[in-house]
Amino acid sequence: MMESSSSSSWMYQMMTAVLILIACVELCDASTVVVDVYRLIQYDIAGSPFGSRLASLNHHAASSSLLSSSTDLSRAVLVLPLTELNHHTSFINEYIEQGKPLGGLLLLLPQILRPERSETVGGHDDSFDKENLKKQLVDLEQKLIHATINYPVYFAFEDEDLDKVLADIKRNDAAGQPATATTGGYKLIVSSPAPKKLSSPTITNIQGWLPGSKADGDSNQLPTIAIVASYDTFGAAPALSVGSDSNGSGVVALLEIARLFSILYSNPNTRGRYNILFGLTSGGPYNYNGTQKWLKSFDQRLRESIDYAICLNSLGSGENGLWLHVSKPPENAYVKQIFEGLSNVAEELGVTVGLKHKKINVSNSRVAWEHEQFSRLRVTAATLSGLSAPPDLLESTGGLSDNREFVNEAAVVKSVKVVAESLARHIYGQQGKNINIFADNSSLAVNPSYIRSWLDLMSRTPRVAPFLSKDSPFITALKKELADHVVEVNLQHDVLDGMFTFYDSTVSTLQIYQVASVTFDLLLLLGLGSYLITLFSLLVITTRGLDDLISLFRRPPSRKVKSV
Amino acid sequence: MTMFHFFNCAILTFGPHAVYYSATPLSEYDTLGTSVKTAVVYLVTALVKLVCLATFLKVSENDVFDPSQELLKALIGFIDVAGLYFALTQLTHRNISQNHKFQAVGLGWAFADSVLHRLAPLWVGARGLEFTWEYVLQGLESNANLMLSLSLAALGSLMWLRKNKPKTLIPIIYACAGIVATMPSIVSYLRWGLGWQLPKVVGFQLFTSFTMALISWQLFSACQKPSS
Repeated sequence: MMESSSSSSWMYQMMTAVLILIACVELCDASTVVVDVYRLIQYDIAGSPFGSRLASLNHHAASSSLLSSSTDLSRAVLVLPLTELNHHTSFINEYIEQGKPLGGLLLLLPQILRPERSETVGGHDDSFDKENLKKQLVDLEQKLIHATINYPVYFAFEDEDLDKVLADIKRNDAAGQPATATTGGYKLIVSSPAPKKLSSPTITNIQGWLPGSKADGDSNQLPTIAIVASYDTFGAAPALSVGSDSNGSGVVALLEIARLFSILYSNPNTRGRYNILFGLTSGGPYNYNGTQKWLKSFDQRLRESIDYAICLNSLGSGENGLWLHVSKPPENAYVKQIFEGLSNVAEELGVTVGLKHKKINVSNSRVAWEHEQFSRLRVTAATLSGLSAPPDLLESTGGLSDNREFVNEAAVVKSVKVVAESLARHIYGQQGKNINIFADNSSLAVNPSYIRSWLDLMSRTPRVAPFLSKDSPFITALKKELADHVVEVNLQHDVLDGMFTFYDSTVSTLQIYQVASVTFDLLLLLGLGSYLITLFSLLVITTRGLDDLISLFRRPPSRKVKSV
Repeated sequence: MTMFHFFNCAILTFGPHAVYYSATPLSEYDTLGTSVKTAVVYLVTALVKLVCLATFLKVSENDVFDPSQELLKALIGFIDVAGLYFALTQLTHRNISQNHKFQAVGLGWAFADSVLHRLAPLWVGARGLEFTWEYVLQGLESNANLMLSLSLAALGSLMWLRKNKPKTLIPIIYACAGIVATMPSIVSYLRWGLGWQLPKVVGFQLFTSFTMALISWQLFSACQKPSS
């Protein structure tokens, strides 16, 4: 009896011991700080490299106070809060554009930019100069994207732990002992394999229909109006490129318009005499490659049935009014009709709509606006945007600064009203009349909370096309939402064309260790050695006498046996 | 570099034992066998202690200092004394004087304790990149423990092996032995009950063990005189 019970506790004991050992391992492995970091994008355009070319990081930390002195930082990771960048204007020039060697760069972004924070609608931190921050970020992002940087660059969000570490680093730097292998300090480690090329990035377009009522004959004979928005983004950190404004706001507006018209079209009496085609396209930052693929997949008859297309782009960027960008001359009948329809409604709502004409240059591969892809195929189209000037390649594509904080929800609501109302007046032949189809407080009113919730979702979801898989939850959610309102929703998968190549490893974990220096260990060894020698001498003297100790040093090999 | 730190800590943790063995006459009388036997006794004692702890102690989810549980733990801690008694009196030692026997037993005891409790954390932790003072402190703790084990063994040998000791010293010997035997519980109380930081606790341990070692040394030499 005794035997068996003790053997069972033996087993129990062994297990506890093993568990304790495991706990020990975990405790001892813990480092000072562990944070998520987001790597600067790495990509090639037609073979020429851009962005950060390395991913793994293993260097000591340095702070910005070393920038002014001529310290060699090629074996140090510079930890630089965005707010300090103002004081080091030459930094960007020297280290990013001229490629001065650096061990690595860790940029600390303010918490306000964290995508997970997107539910809190702005205006909490009034002391914060948001506009300035945005300008600074846009500037920095463009420089980072267009430079070839031969060291790893990571983004992280400021938090208490990092602030503490940074304060420590600064103190060390100020004391004139920059961290190296011999002086200790902090070590920043990102263990990540070398970035690999992504094989043939896919783009996914989503389309859906609201078929008009067949007066006589086939519905295919009815004219079609297309509402299009591109949903993907591009930015310095792919995992942070949520693009709330560019083009999250456009996508949200499209979904709301689809919802409004689906109510009208569900009733046979109010079904219009136009088909409405909704398209959510990918590849927007890359000259609207997805839009091009999507249009090319249409057959000739369908393409000719499109009366015009309205592309929605960056609708939430403030109260500066909207701009209608066209590539046909303003005298064109369709352009005139679209513009007048929009500006009439806009006037009633107190929004200004301007008209901008930019001819397309077919020999130039740059496509600045989504409607230009339509125009190239001789389909009348216009882009409604909050931006007044055509962006350059990879500009205004929903990068770091394009955050929920900077999106004006009211502007999106107004834009939705403008587009939906003018469209409805056109479809039901009420142009120029002052009727309100989507009046507030009616069952057809624009729903701000629907817009807000989708805007929040957009602002949490990074959508850089090459890193968005075909069956990602976001695309599934978009498809499902569109299918709730319109019919014949389907996905079109295609390969992103040509000249862009992307590399993986966009998110990593940074471990910050406080390390001791070799000098410290050497000193410790010296101290220990003298301690042990003293101990030895003391013990010999007390137990055997001083003479013995001296004789020990005189004739080391001899060991005289002496009685005590 | 980190391997370097590991070696430093290992030297601090195990070095004093080796130095003690080679510096004192223990090495001349070849008492290694006694120390090894004691180490085996220590292992068995530790196992018995673990079984007792597992059987009688409730598993507490949080690090709260519970007096009744701690008292039980202290009582179980006295199993150590029993183990030491066994090592001192029941083991067949080769003909070595009592003077050397207690040293060999104390040394074996302390060394086994250090290997069992400190080698694994040291191997796992001190080689890591992160620097903490923990392993240096742990090495110092091992030094304190060596002194404590030696004093306990000395007092034990006075209590159980020496017959003709001065009557006046007997209560002092027992009191000292009691204090030394309860020292682990006192340390645990300071650490968890009062929430002392590790450096402070280690400092306390070093101080008290050094004092106890001095006292026991004096007691031992005081008992030595009449017999010789």
